[in-house]
Amino acid sequence: MKKLILALVLFASLTSCKKSEKAEEPKKIAIVVSTLNNPWFVFLAETAAKKAKELGYESKIFDSQNNTALESDHFENAISSGYDAILFNPTDAAGSVANATKAKEAGIPVFCMDREINSTDAATSQILSDSYSACVQLGKLFVDKLGKKGNYVELLGIVSDNNTWNRSKGFHSSVDNYPGLKMVAQQSADFDRNKAMEVMESILQAHPDIDGVFCGNDAMAMGAYQALVAANKADKVKVFGFDGAEDAINSIKEGKLTATAMQFPKIIAETAATYADDYFKGQKDFPKKLPIAVEVVTKENIDKYIAYGKK
Amino acid sequence: MNIALDRSKLAKFQSTIALLILCIGLTILSDKFLTVDNGWNVLRQISVNICISVGMTLVVLTAGIDLSVGSILAFSGAVAAGLLKSGISFPGNDLFIGFTLLGTVLAGIATGSFLGFFNGWVITKFKVPPFVATLAMLTVARGFTMLWTKGYPISSLGTNFAYIGTGWFLGIPILVWIAVVVVIAAMIISNKTALGRYIYAIGGNENAAKLSGINIDKVKIIVYTLAGALAAIGGIMVTSRLDSAQPNAGMSYELDAIAAVVIGGTSLSGGRGTIIGTVLGAIIIGVLNNGLVLLDVSPFWQQVVKGMVILLAVMIDKANSKAE
Repeated sequence: MKKLILALVLFASLTSCKKSEKAEEPKKIAIVVSTLNNPWFVFLAETAAKKAKELGYESKIFDSQNNTALESDHFENAISSGYDAILFNPTDAAGSVANATKAKEAGIPVFCMDREINSTDAATSQILSDSYSACVQLGKLFVDKLGKKGNYVELLGIVSDNNTWNRSKGFHSSVDNYPGLKMVAQQSADFDRNKAMEVMESILQAHPDIDGVFCGNDAMAMGAYQALVAANKADKVKVFGFDGAEDAINSIKEGKLTATAMQFPKIIAETAATYADDYFKGQKDFPKKLPIAVEVVTKENIDKYIAYGKK
Repeated sequence: MNIALDRSKLAKFQSTIALLILCIGLTILSDKFLTVDNGWNVLRQISVNICISVGMTLVVLTAGIDLSVGSILAFSGAVAAGLLKSGISFPGNDLFIGFTLLGTVLAGIATGSFLGFFNGWVITKFKVPPFVATLAMLTVARGFTMLWTKGYPISSLGTNFAYIGTGWFLGIPILVWIAVVVVIAAMIISNKTALGRYIYAIGGNENAAKLSGINIDKVKIIVYTLAGALAAIGGIMVTSRLDSAQPNAGMSYELDAIAAVVIGGTSLSGGRGTIIGTVLGAIIIGVLNNGLVLLDVSPFWQQVVKGMVILLAVMIDKANSKAE
């Protein structure tokens, strides 16, 4: 029995040697994404999976459900079931560092997508979309479109979410320089279209005279717009979103929403998958941080864009 | 019998007082609260929660709970939206089934009813506690929603479908009409029919109900099916209002429904409570949501206030039943 095992082990070691030389078995890539409850992240994860498949790798999507603990489980499972790289969309800049470090210690490269982790060496590379500076730009456009004065409303996303505050802070860093612009209400609508509509309906009762609405994502912008239509105020109020989702792109085309910020999940996901491919082929030197520019989309330049990307 | 009647009267009375105090307070604090427009706003916003909460009341009266209503709402709404937009096509042969507006609405309600029926079946035939069975359904139905929508919203459903959510009939929003019809039907069922009496009897004392010859399994299955159907109606209302079926629709709606039931004076241990109490509970939650936004209360504090109101309602309720 012992001899048999020894023979098997020898055989296995020989064959595995052979395999790694010829790379017969496709490498496996884990895609760990913060949530699949939002179309933007679904698109990110699916694009990464598609690109990995094109490059000849197996891949599997793990949904962390915005929960760092669940994310930690996914990392442990991915490590123990022999994944060769992790394309990672972290749930939390600080809370996710430990997970990325765990993978690094196991010799598995981690490529962050869209969101950052607060560590310079846990991830092999971070391909980031900068919500903050995008909202700085969006805020400048907001100031222009409203003519530097007027009352406006801000709809925040989930208040315990990093992105909510990055976007809000970026926006305010531009807008707060203009004392003529007065924020009459700042409420949370949880990134949710229905909640945004209901909150906006109530806000319009308290503040019937507003000139603009800034929303932390496109779903909320759509909901806010619907509330404005119902109150016959859609023509005079400018609605701003964030993400570049299909509904928002169509609405900007039709002149309903004023602007959104287009992030490029396709570019982010494909770059991450390509980096993993380069890594397998021997490249070890990657930019620690690769910012992917976010572009402001308005009716003037809408023809260049489709949902989640450029034409 | 008399005592039970007094208790339910007291529960009604107590939520009415709470609602009045809330309304008077908000009227003093904000001159925007007591307006016709805002009234319709609140009523439109709570109509979905009323439909779900009515189903929840029937379930809670049997001493059960239904945690799956939010997910069932999302799935049923998505099914209706998907069928309306693209029908069913079979790629193999050139068969295509399109759906009329009524067809999609009925398909949505049938979906919710079936999931509710499944809840009831598992709870009665396999003796799975309602908490666990519907907790499982909460996840499963959400998963079905993601599979059906592939994670993306289904939008632009046409003006006819949107009319359900945005239209008016005889000066009243259609959403409010739907809620009114649901409430009246549920009041008739709970007060005037044998089924209603059985529901109260099962929640009051299941063994006694069994000994008096009530088919407990059948009643429970009907109740969970109704809860599913009402969640589906809520799903169609939300979808039509937004002109879009969102994959994450109805998240944590079960909690709002349970809150309405509890604030309305229905006992979570079953057998005691009324539909009208739940309606008042839903109005209180709706007025509170509306009022906190009108007053520009910070979103952090809003959560604290809502939680405290629920706690207060139950504490008062407990004190009352002890006093008796």
